[in-house]
Amino acid sequence: MIIPVRCFTCGKVIGSLYEEFNKRYQEYQRALTNGEKPKETPKEILDDLGVTRYCCRRMILTHVDLLKEAAPYE
Amino acid sequence: MKVEVVKLKEDYAKLKIYDTAPYFVNALRRVMLADLPKLAIEDVIVYDNTSPLFDEIIAHRLGMVPLKTDLGVLVPRDECSCGGKGCANCTVRYTLSKEGPGVVYSGDLQPENERWGVVDPKIPIVELSEGQRLILEVEAVLGRGRDHAKWQAVQAPGYKYYPVIEIDQSKLDEESRKRCVEVCPKKILVEKEGRLVVTDVEKCSLCKSCEEVCEPGAITVKGDETRFIFSFETDGSLSAKEALVESTKILEEKYKEMEKLLK
Repeated sequence: MIIPVRCFTCGKVIGSLYEEFNKRYQEYQRALTNGEKPKETPKEILDDLGVTRYCCRRMILTHVDLLKEAAPYE
Repeated sequence: MKVEVVKLKEDYAKLKIYDTAPYFVNALRRVMLADLPKLAIEDVIVYDNTSPLFDEIIAHRLGMVPLKTDLGVLVPRDECSCGGKGCANCTVRYTLSKEGPGVVYSGDLQPENERWGVVDPKIPIVELSEGQRLILEVEAVLGRGRDHAKWQAVQAPGYKYYPVIEIDQSKLDEESRKRCVEVCPKKILVEKEGRLVVTDVEKCSLCKSCEEVCEPGAITVKGDETRFIFSFETDGSLSAKEALVESTKILEEKYKEMEKLLK
């Protein structure tokens, strides 16, 4: 669905970080497919965003954004 | 009890607490989790919702949004002079109205009074496509973590015993020193001029892996039960300093009440 507002385990607000993570992750993927050296790895992005605990990291890493699929159904 | 501030940021604090016992530090941790009041959205009046999410999901997501809290001004609703009806002293109102296409963010919540803005304006609430609408009004009240996690101002409060590592150099040989350096998950053991030395003892997680890979008695890792490293985060509704000061005040009140009951 949509990214949860907070980490299920510790309660840290992670909803606002997802968009930025995604943007930078796309950049990483783009670099990989073009055979360039990526500017930063997903690990470095998460560290830079201040997501230190593994409970919050899995919230972002394992999230599948499916809200758009449900968008036509009100 | 002596407290030393190691790190104090807007939403994070790390303290060293000396000359105390585990139960005092744990009491502080539990007060932070369950008794520290903060503002969170409690009632949502939905006027129009044609978004893909149910009203209940949106209400829940709104509840989790951290709101700037001033504990000196607000009082809990059940202790308010208005008798639970909801007045300016105990209730903060916001309105939200948005039409698609676009993402509804927490920053779209319009507070009645500027001072009660949301802490983080970039939290997505729901995504609207062409022609979809979300119009609602919310009321935020003070609450405590014991009633719902949305009223928990402090995240991940925790403490550990201050690590004490004793090394008997005479019982270690070249081989076991190497094993110790390798096995330490925090990488705080290094070999220096034929001796095993600890670089940063505070990083030690008391895992005792180094104890296990060498001769018994060569290394002993212990936690000092009178010294603690205490750290916590806040969600931004209160600053780390405010959260700590308020928690100790609440704890003090609790001890006073206990004293009265014992007399």
